[in-house]
Amino acid sequence: MIKITDLQKLYRTEEVETVALNNLSIHVKSGEFVAVMGPSGCGKSTLLNIVGLLDDMEGGSYLFNGVEVARFNEKKRSQLRKHNIGFVFQSFNLIDELTVYENVELPLIYTKVPASERKKRVEEVLEKVQIMHRRNHFPQQLSGGQQQRVAVARAVVNRPKLILADEPTGNLDSKNGNEVMQLLTELNEAGTTIIMVTHSEHDSQYADRVIRMLDGQVIMETVG
Amino acid sequence: MIRNYLKIAWRNITKNKLFSVINMLGLAIGVATFFLIMLFVADELKFDRFNRRADDIARIIFKANINGGKISEASVMAPVAATMKKDFPEVEDATRLVNAGVPRVRVGGKQYKGDRLARVDPNFLTIFTLPMISGVPGKALLNPDEVVLTKSAAEKYFGSEPALGKTIEIDGNKNYIVSGVIEDVPRTSHFHFEIFGSLTGMKEATSDSWMLGSFYTYLLLKPGTDPAKLETRFPQMVATYMGPQILSQMGVTLDQFRTKGNELGFAMQRLTDIHLKSATTNEIEPGGNAAYVYIFTIVACFMLLVAGINFVNLSTAGASKRAREVGVRKVIGSEKGQLVGQFLSESFLTTTIACTIAAVLLWLLLPLFGALSGKSLTLNLESWLVFLLLGTVVGLVAGIYPAFYLSAFKPVEVLKGRLMSRPGKIGLRNGLVVFQFFVSVCLVVGTIVTYQQMKYIQKKDIGYSREQLLIIPNSYALGKNERAFKQQMLQDTRIKGATMSWFKPVGPTNFNNAFAYTREDHNKFVNGVNYQVDEDYIPVMAMKVLRGRNFSPDFPTDTLGIILNETAVTALGWNVDNVIGQDVVIQNSNRGNSVDSPYHVIGVIKNFHFKSLHNAISPLFMTLDPQGGLIFKLNTADVDGVLGDMKQKWENFQAEDPFTYAFMDELFEKTYDAEQKTARVLNIFAVLTIFVACLGLFGLATFASELRTKEIGIRKVLGASVGQVVGMLSRDFLKWVSLGAMIAFPVAWWAMSRWLENFAYRIEISWWIFVVAGLVSIAIALLTVSFQAIKAAVSSPVKALRTE
Repeated sequence: MIKITDLQKLYRTEEVETVALNNLSIHVKSGEFVAVMGPSGCGKSTLLNIVGLLDDMEGGSYLFNGVEVARFNEKKRSQLRKHNIGFVFQSFNLIDELTVYENVELPLIYTKVPASERKKRVEEVLEKVQIMHRRNHFPQQLSGGQQQRVAVARAVVNRPKLILADEPTGNLDSKNGNEVMQLLTELNEAGTTIIMVTHSEHDSQYADRVIRMLDGQVIMETVG
Repeated sequence: MIRNYLKIAWRNITKNKLFSVINMLGLAIGVATFFLIMLFVADELKFDRFNRRADDIARIIFKANINGGKISEASVMAPVAATMKKDFPEVEDATRLVNAGVPRVRVGGKQYKGDRLARVDPNFLTIFTLPMISGVPGKALLNPDEVVLTKSAAEKYFGSEPALGKTIEIDGNKNYIVSGVIEDVPRTSHFHFEIFGSLTGMKEATSDSWMLGSFYTYLLLKPGTDPAKLETRFPQMVATYMGPQILSQMGVTLDQFRTKGNELGFAMQRLTDIHLKSATTNEIEPGGNAAYVYIFTIVACFMLLVAGINFVNLSTAGASKRAREVGVRKVIGSEKGQLVGQFLSESFLTTTIACTIAAVLLWLLLPLFGALSGKSLTLNLESWLVFLLLGTVVGLVAGIYPAFYLSAFKPVEVLKGRLMSRPGKIGLRNGLVVFQFFVSVCLVVGTIVTYQQMKYIQKKDIGYSREQLLIIPNSYALGKNERAFKQQMLQDTRIKGATMSWFKPVGPTNFNNAFAYTREDHNKFVNGVNYQVDEDYIPVMAMKVLRGRNFSPDFPTDTLGIILNETAVTALGWNVDNVIGQDVVIQNSNRGNSVDSPYHVIGVIKNFHFKSLHNAISPLFMTLDPQGGLIFKLNTADVDGVLGDMKQKWENFQAEDPFTYAFMDELFEKTYDAEQKTARVLNIFAVLTIFVACLGLFGLATFASELRTKEIGIRKVLGASVGQVVGMLSRDFLKWVSLGAMIAFPVAWWAMSRWLENFAYRIEISWWIFVVAGLVSIAIALLTVSFQAIKAAVSSPVKALRTE
């Protein structure tokens, strides 16, 4: 599904050029659950952003389902993103002004799903993450675990083929963290590809494969 | 989708209530004042436009420069109209108007006073668009005994009965037949009359004098005529017709007259320029002032610009709060266009609310503004539509920048908290602060200077005392009883004195152009005013005799005596010490003859202001020739009592005229009405602009403290006190506010100097005005900024650092 070869990513300030990712190559097959680990600043999140088409790359090739997307413009990326990729963040990133229901509904609005269909799908996915009873609450009225479940619901409501999770349990206690990991595992078992950045050895055990990074390079891969 | 946008917009508006209220209020004030001023300006520019052929009508004015004295009169001599029509093929038609004042009208035994009478050529009513309701257009006023009435006058005199063919009596001596009724003269006309009589059969109207006469003369030009080109042929006309009369009456040829630096001739004014641009001494009605129209327009545009800029600033100031939302939306699939749409609909909602507030403000302020500016403006459907259009344009323009700014955030960056470290944008914002305070300081300086000048006028020694002077302008109506009336009133101890004269140092008053010269030098003309007064004039007005003496009944020869003011003495080439006993010849146009009469100088009076302080004091001659209205000097607090007694005595004489009166000091105030109004309007604008500028500053301060939340947090962890943080945040802004003030000083100084040049007598702009204006602006700015700065400074540093 994802084939990245010789990825090069630099961060420039006026005087200094920092290499964030250096000739990195990874390959993720459809239906895999991959965990990416490594110390702070090793380039995990940068990699995830590039995979998610949120960030651009200086060099290398990126095949998504066999299509070269490395040189896509913003519009094409956005098209690809909204139909194929769901995101889960450490800090949830729910929109405070929208209710639980409206937050989850938003991706469907952007992909122009008709209203009746939207209602069905939002309710379905809210049931699945067991947050239906709080559908009309605003994010601040929920606990961290609940917020992250809403975020997961929002990530999957469009039935993406790929979910990118950036430390999804980082802001949660272990009980809530386990619930979210359970949810991701279920999604993976249903066929969704998952790439997850994590600091937690515990969480990485849910994955099929663990990629370890240091200084912008892959140093080790272990199959779980 | 739109519903989703508006939902978010509404939730955002209600979430930051204070912020939203400030933002909308600022825009509302800006839009409302802009529209208000533009209504005023549009109205000023509309004058005389109601005439179908407004662009083809021009007025002929008389211009002369005689021994340095400039004359510019709106009326010309009787034969000018006919001559121009005959001699210039570009002139399609010509017509004249004589202002015949306010006559007594009697209809069916009832007397009316207050309607204005004009005598016009019959074609006047067709050249100007004054539609006839009854009567035959083009046939009215062909006979000397006809009048045309306006609709309101006709209704006043005859009620619902048709006025056509009925008779009215004017000034008690003649009956006139109503031969037409026209619509009322539109408010936006440079003249207003209720009764139009005919010039047909009037002796003066057929006079062939090119020296005397006061006929307002209008030309209807053939379409496409260039007035400037036509004007170049006027000097030839002057030579042909006026030259011979100058030679026979003044004894000099036109060329001799011109070689002495003197000049005289005619000029043309477009009809549509009369209201705003005419600067003649005898306008039919006081006009507007083009300079004020320009100033107001500029102020209005500034106001809208400042309000718009603030709206943009306040919208983007909250950006960091919205940035994460933008990032999230982009991540889950929003395209940039959709986000632009979202933010535009937000601005649109905000501006819609703001414009609704503006509409209410407009509706509330219109009568107030009308009272201030002396104009009764109304809002019709058309103006509301324009308002709607204005609101839409403002909403769109003010919404576009924030929409693109906000939707341009890169999701990777905002979600990581790396936000808006863009120094370029900060520079722009600071530029806006500079601009806003530049405008504010300019207006504050303007307000102080106009206030001071107005106060200066009030306090200035004008050379006479205007207090307790009661004017009975129409006492001549008592006829031979006038003197008896005066004597009876003088018995009253509350009355200190009385004088009889047509002439008053404030308007409305008689005025004339008198040419004086010395026996030695016939060619040294001095153009001045000849005040015809009695012996009591100088003491009643409390004027000061510098040399010689006042007129006195003890000297029967005083009818050939003359008193000069200081300017006249100098202009005639004497000084106050050698002028007494000299002879002066006056050629007084007011007497309608051209017989040179020599006068013997018996006194010199101290200069007094007989024109407004806009004009320098010109030569003035006083001769003993009592006639006209009465002026009483009172010495009592019981003014009402005096007025009551006076009215009683007036009625005992069975005068035809009703008893009317005026007070000199009130008339004096009226002279500066336009300036007073401008000062008041300017004052309000200054306050509003500063208010709106402060709203902007408030937004920027919020924005800055938001941007520097982390810095503030770190500084506090390292030990900075609240005071130090407030100081740091405020200093930044004060720098820009001060810069704005610095730029404003020379500009304001220049603008106000220009304004003061309108006054021959004026204040000096002193340095402290700038200090005050600067300090006021800085103090207000400081207050505004510190509100936000203190809020940022006292917040917990832990919270600040966690936002990363």
